[in-house]
Amino acid sequence: MLQPSIPPVEPRPSLNTAAKLNVGDRLLRALYPPRANAWQLRWLGFAMLVLAAIFPWLGGPFYTRLAIESFLFGATALSVDILLGYAGLLSLGQAAYFGLAAYISALMYLHVTQSFWLVLVAVVTAVAVFSLVLGAVAIRAKGVYFALITFGAAEILSKIAHNTRAIGGSDGLIGIPVPRITLLPGVTIDLQNNFVFYYAVLGVLVLIYIGTRRILDSGFGAVLRAIRDNSDRVPYLGYNSFWYKLLAYIMAAQVAAVGGLIYPLLRGFVAPHLFGFEVSTKAVVMSLVGGVGTLLGPLAGSVIVTFLESAVGSYTERHLLVLGVIFIVFVMFLPDGLIGLARRLSASRGKAAP
Amino acid sequence: MIKVRALNKAFGGLRAVRDLSFEALPRCVTSIIGPNGAGKSTAFNLIAGTLQPDSGTVELDGRDITGRAPFALARLGVARSFQITNLFFGLSTFENVRLACQSLERRSSYLVRLDRLARPQACARAILAEFGLQERANELVGNLSHGDQRRVEIAVCMALRPRLLMLDEPTQGMSPSETAEFDALIKSLTGRATILLIEHDVDLVMSLSDHVIVMHQGEKLFEGTPDRVRASPLVREAYLGVDHAAV
Ligand SMILES: Nc1ncnc2c1ncn2[C@@H]1O[C@H](COP(=O)(O)OP(=O)(O)OP(=O)(O)O)[C@@H](O)[C@H]1O
Ligand SMILES: [Mg+2]
Repeated sequence: MLQPSIPPVEPRPSLNTAAKLNVGDRLLRALYPPRANAWQLRWLGFAMLVLAAIFPWLGGPFYTRLAIESFLFGATALSVDILLGYAGLLSLGQAAYFGLAAYISALMYLHVTQSFWLVLVAVVTAVAVFSLVLGAVAIRAKGVYFALITFGAAEILSKIAHNTRAIGGSDGLIGIPVPRITLLPGVTIDLQNNFVFYYAVLGVLVLIYIGTRRILDSGFGAVLRAIRDNSDRVPYLGYNSFWYKLLAYIMAAQVAAVGGLIYPLLRGFVAPHLFGFEVSTKAVVMSLVGGVGTLLGPLAGSVIVTFLESAVGSYTERHLLVLGVIFIVFVMFLPDGLIGLARRLSASRGKAAP
Repeated sequence: MIKVRALNKAFGGLRAVRDLSFEALPRCVTSIIGPNGAGKSTAFNLIAGTLQPDSGTVELDGRDITGRAPFALARLGVARSFQITNLFFGLSTFENVRLACQSLERRSSYLVRLDRLARPQACARAILAEFGLQERANELVGNLSHGDQRRVEIAVCMALRPRLLMLDEPTQGMSPSETAEFDALIKSLTGRATILLIEHDVDLVMSLSDHVIVMHQGEKLFEGTPDRVRASPLVREAYLGVDHAAV
């Protein structure tokens, strides 16, 4: 009886998506494509490892040291991917942790100790505390504000380093001694030797990659992916997103810090620019070039971008411009990075020859 | 079971929910009906923690849960679906349900490798089978038909093993034949949880509900058994009024 008088429900737009997205969301969405197949990644990782293993025999000392540098920035790029590819958080301030670790490390070698392990403990502790505090603040801010806060924090650190005479001011710190690292009693790592240095850093990077992969291939990682996909829905499943994001943030900070921990030993100096926007954005570009959300892509991306920069650097001073162009090209034409491209190529070949 | 007292919520000058009080009895289906804009979804948002009420209280099993965060309510057994489909569109159907199952696990198991976290997987498979979604298990939810997406919404809610199940227009946007199929599905849920249902499909509401609340312009206009609601001249007038305005 009542039925005819009930007003008909007008059809509502299904699938929330396109209509509500603002520019920032659109960029973020472009930045995280679906994940690559596990076996494809495994093969790619294996190929990259083989290439990395033989590289010092092909490259010569200059390129070997450049490759080491690319690995150090690779850790920072990996940290960007942990945040962007898993938790959906775009950090424009991962240099904060690169720089923090570099300065602590440099200062301790200069004034306190020659023990790598003591330095490691100090760096891990400082980065944990700093990232806990900054993360707790930044994560409460949504969307683009997270990027702005992380960016701002790194800039502040950069300015502090710049203006504090005690830590070298704008000149930074130079003449950092290279320590002998005692791995086991009787086994030391001699970083004066390029080959040893190279393989040590490669080993560290591989361990970080495997560790990160393992940690994220878990219930914890699954919740992060859910947050990335639709953070508004997550609380209704009983998850407090805040803690997941915070843990991811702290984890990413530690990974970014590994690069800074070793950098002074490679270059023998630290300077305020290590906190700077260029390091942060470079990490984002590297991650984008390789493929966000793959963990492996950013490592490939860091090698490619570092070598490209070095090659371009012999023609022009305008690094940032090159970085900017790469960024734009990838966002517009290859938002899923080189790994995404490889995946699409192998998919289309698979279709052609079934 | 769930007791709402003098709930108020205004958006600027618009009083979307005014002095709303009602009670939903355990294991019963309580439906909220009313014309568009009556404040039904807002009432849901206030109960499920999506919005903070301006005043009033919400009690769940004698416990004051007013203004608690959605994740805290979910852990207390409140599961809700959304009027506009709200899922992890970039994840598979299986993963959507598995994530809901996983939330019942101890947090200390969250670093176990995903393929060894067996219980949520078994739970998800069982739920998918129950809701006839096995074939869709590996498809991205964003690629499913609207009807299947609505189905996944309910599957996710049931995977949470709710004490209070809140469904906001589950048959929204469906064709009549899909709706008929869905009626049976919703009927099968009765008795498994206390259900709060917002629904425009009056046949469904009347056949399913133990108790019906009629809202109009933010206020509770009437409440009672389906038969009494059907017979109420007040209710009919409210709906007719809307109809005239729409013409
Ligand atoms: N977040 C908000 N901000 C401002 N106004 C809102 C908000 N949410 C709802 N409203 C307004 O509050 C009133 C009640 O909306 P509500 O969504 O609760 O209605 P409803 O009964 O669920 O209607 P429908 O049948 O269309 O879903 C409407 O006028 C709506 O425009
Ligand atoms: Mg509504």
